[in-house]
Amino acid sequence: MRSIEFSKRTTREILRDPLSYIFCLGFPIIMLIIMTVVDRSIPKEAQMNIFKIHALAPGMAVFGLTFVMLFTCIQLSKDRTTAFLTRLYASPMRSVDFIIGYTLPSVVLALIQVMITYICSFIIAAIVGGDLKLFNMLFSVVCLLPSVLLYIGFGLLFGALLNDKAAPGVCSIVITLSCMIGGIWMDVDGMGGGIKSLSHCLPFYHGVQAVRMAVSGDMRRVTKPLIITLLYATVIYILAVVLMRGKMKKDVR
Amino acid sequence: MSERYGIEIKNLRKEFGSKVAVNDISLNIKEGQLFSMLGVNGAGKTTTIKMLMGLSKPTAGDALIMGNSILTDLPKVKQISNFSPQETSVAPNLTVRENLDFFARIYGYDKKKADELAEDMIEKFTLQEVEKSKAKTLSGGWQRRLSIAMALISSPKVLFLDEPTLGLDVLARRELWRVIEKLKGKMTIVLTTHYMEEAEHLSDEIAIMVGGEIKALGTLEEIKKLTGKDNLEDAFISIAEE
Repeated sequence: MRSIEFSKRTTREILRDPLSYIFCLGFPIIMLIIMTVVDRSIPKEAQMNIFKIHALAPGMAVFGLTFVMLFTCIQLSKDRTTAFLTRLYASPMRSVDFIIGYTLPSVVLALIQVMITYICSFIIAAIVGGDLKLFNMLFSVVCLLPSVLLYIGFGLLFGALLNDKAAPGVCSIVITLSCMIGGIWMDVDGMGGGIKSLSHCLPFYHGVQAVRMAVSGDMRRVTKPLIITLLYATVIYILAVVLMRGKMKKDVR
Repeated sequence: MSERYGIEIKNLRKEFGSKVAVNDISLNIKEGQLFSMLGVNGAGKTTTIKMLMGLSKPTAGDALIMGNSILTDLPKVKQISNFSPQETSVAPNLTVRENLDFFARIYGYDKKKADELAEDMIEKFTLQEVEKSKAKTLSGGWQRRLSIAMALISSPKVLFLDEPTLGLDVLARRELWRVIEKLKGKMTIVLTTHYMEEAEHLSDEIAIMVGGEIKALGTLEEIKKLTGKDNLEDAFISIAEE
C-alpha cells in the first residue's frame, strides 16, 4: 500500500510539471509530423525507408521513452537533493516501496505515451498512406516493454548517482546515442563500419529493431533483438536498484 | 513511582572515519517533555537525532524510544516517531491537503481515516486558506507549518524538530512557537535550535552539546545556576568556550 501511495505522489509530481507534457507527449508527436513531412520531400530513388510511417512510428515510440528516462531521473535526483526523501527514510517506508514508487508511474507514463504516439501514427498513415496493422502495433507494445524497463533503469541509475543539475546532461547523452546509433533517425545498417559495430554492441539499436520488426509483422526476426534488449534492460535495472538502495543508505549516513 | 521515559540514550556514539561526531552520550528524556539540544554547528545535535530516528546507525551504544531499541526494533521506532527536518521537506507539486493525506497513508491509515486526520491538521494549524495551494507556492512560514503538521499527522509519541524556525521571520517564528507550545505534554519532543530565546521559551530541559559531548544538562534555571549567568545565551557561550 505504501508503494502505491508513493507511486501516486510521484505521478502527481511528474504530471504537474508542464515540461512533462511538452517533452513526453508533445515533442514525439511534433517530431512524428516533421519527419513525415521530411519523408515526403525525399525522392523515391533515394530508397530511404527510415522515415516511412511503419519505421517512424516504432522509432518515435522508443524516442519518447528517452524522455520518460529523463523525467524519472530528474524526479529521483530532485527528491534526493531535498530533505523530502530524508523524512521519508524516517517513516515506515521500505526500500522496495521507493523502487516501486519511482518505477510504476514511469511505466504508466511510458505506456500512455506509446498509445498516443501510435494513435497519431494511425492518423498520419491514414492521411499520407501507410500500412499499419492493428495487431502488429499491439504486439509491438509488448516488444517495447524491455525498452521501457531499460530506459526507466537508466533514469533510476542516473537519478541515484547524480544530482539534479548533472542528471539531465548525462541523460541527454543517452538520448543522443539512442537517436543516432540506436537507428531512430539514422540508417545504421546502411552506414556500416565502426558505427554499425558500436550500435550492435549497445542495447538501443536492438530495442528499436525489435519494435520495428513487430510493426512490420516480421515476427520470426523479433526474438533476437528482443532477447538482447531484455538482457540489457534486466542488468541495467538491477544495477539501478542496487545503486539506489546503496545511495539511500549513504544519503542518510 | 518510577518515571517513564520517552527516550533513553545509552552510550550513543557515532564516528565518521577518524572523526567522532557523537561521543558516548547518555541521557534520559521524560515522557511528554520538550527537550532542547543546543550547540554550535558540528556539535553533534543533528547526528544524534538522526541516530534516534534510525536514519544513521550508531557506531556504538543504543537508545530506546518509548522502550523500543533503535537497533533491534527500528520498524516500531519509525511507526511511533516522526520528524520535521530543518530544510524544506514537502512534496512541492502536491497541495497542502495532498501532502497531509500522503503522510497519513504511508503511516498506515486507510483513506477515510487519512482524510479525517488531514482535515484535523488543517484545522489545528489553520491551513484552510492554503489547503488547495501547491506546497511550492507557500511562503517559508507556511511551509514550516505544513512540515510540522505532516510530522504530527501520524500521532507520534516522539517528535523530532530539527531547527524548525531556521530562516523564518520573527512573526512566523512566534507563530510556530505557539504551535509547538500547544504540543507540550502530549508527546515527547526533541528540538534542536540555534536560537537561545527559542530554547528558553519552549524547553522543559536543555542539553548543551560541544564537540559531540553533552557539556551541560538540566532545566533552564539549573544551567544558569551551573554557569553563574543570568541568561541562557551567556550560559551557552561560557560552556561552549570552555
